[in-house]
Amino acid sequence: MDFGTLGGNLFGTIPLGDIVLYITPLSLFLFAVLLVFTLLIAISKTETQVEATFMKLSNTDVKVGKKEFKQRRFLAVICGIASAGAMLTGDLFNFTLFMALIGILNIGIVSAVKQTTVLNSAYQYGLIAMMCSLPLFGGASIILASTGTLSLAVLSQMSATPMVVFGAVLMLLGILGESGVAPFFASKAEMFRTPGSPFIVIIHLSSLFIIVRAVEILLLVLW
Amino acid sequence: MVFIPPHVPAEFISMYLPAIYAGLIVGFIGSMAIAMRREEIHILILTDLIGLAMIFVVSAVGTDLAEALILPGLVVELAETLAISEILLSREMHKIEADPRRNLTKSTSLFPQPFALDMEIMTTAPNFIALVLIAYGIFLTGFTGGAVAGGGIVLYALSKKARGLPVLVIDGIAGVSGIAWCLWIIGFALFFVAPGLWVLSLFLAACGLLLKVASKVGLIGLLMREDIDKE
Repeated sequence: MDFGTLGGNLFGTIPLGDIVLYITPLSLFLFAVLLVFTLLIAISKTETQVEATFMKLSNTDVKVGKKEFKQRRFLAVICGIASAGAMLTGDLFNFTLFMALIGILNIGIVSAVKQTTVLNSAYQYGLIAMMCSLPLFGGASIILASTGTLSLAVLSQMSATPMVVFGAVLMLLGILGESGVAPFFASKAEMFRTPGSPFIVIIHLSSLFIIVRAVEILLLVLW
Repeated sequence: MVFIPPHVPAEFISMYLPAIYAGLIVGFIGSMAIAMRREEIHILILTDLIGLAMIFVVSAVGTDLAEALILPGLVVELAETLAISEILLSREMHKIEADPRRNLTKSTSLFPQPFALDMEIMTTAPNFIALVLIAYGIFLTGFTGGAVAGGGIVLYALSKKARGLPVLVIDGIAGVSGIAWCLWIIGFALFFVAPGLWVLSLFLAACGLLLKVASKVGLIGLLMREDIDKE
């Protein structure tokens, strides 16, 4: 399928040799929104959670320490930049690498919390993400082996062979696990139950945006 | 559409499909093993097995581009293993903090039981073998040479039972590692700036990489010896 059919009018391309970055209204919008959000979380402060104390009438504040706050903000900003890069990339393997990077950063953002339940679910999510790197990278490499290229501009002009369809299905499986949506959301949902709101939201936002982009890429490859 | 150079033998091309099937089957067996095991540390190790199956599938392509894909894949896999094991560690720490008496009987060590290696061959042969390995590593240069020379250093460190290495030695090894890194970078940059000097830059990079890898592996050996000599 052509770029224009999915993303609207083609504004222009940035040719870097074989890899051609292309700018359509869809990718530009996703890119800009993620950059604005990254800027917002870079300048914002973390929230304080208020929890009801068990068997008492008072409340307890769950605060985030200065060191933990700094680490979490850094990782969240990197995660935002990685997601923004995945929105604009014109290379299949760069997309899978950004995807894997987002997976690691999602674990990293919650790695410093003190709640055992959150760490437990982060551990489960990390296991799923690691297992899904096999279909993710394997699918990309099968597409590379059966077409000889990773450039989306070239791949979108080709018709899909059965091997490409197999690779795309593997990639879809990998993306689902790596971003923690649909069948694997149970482990990821628990990760949000920790203080430090604006930085936690990037976990959610990055996986949402990357799914939109993944659908576009898979349609480009398959059609 | 796919361009395959004519000098590639037909056996190599026919190996591609068995290789990816082998990778996928290894991944499937790994997932089944994960479903059966219940201990968390075993699950982590088995997950690494699936990561290795990923390297299988990617390296089956066997082109230059695929080689460029293997390295990031390997790095991603390592980073994820490190991150998850850190999470596991910090979770256990929080659990122990909540209930300090849990870990009174447990010890965390590379080798859970202290053991002394009292064999004659451990005191006589290693000097010679380590020397031969280091010499052969220097002869090889590059990444392979570094690994071979580092293996020699590990062997020497394992066989010698001197405890408590002075801080100066460890600092020195770290310093050599840093200088080697600079050599490698200079060689790499020179390769692009002045392609005419490719022999010089190749040797700079190769010797830098040799020292770098050898010192890394040597450090692992030093750390392991500290653990082994525990009585």
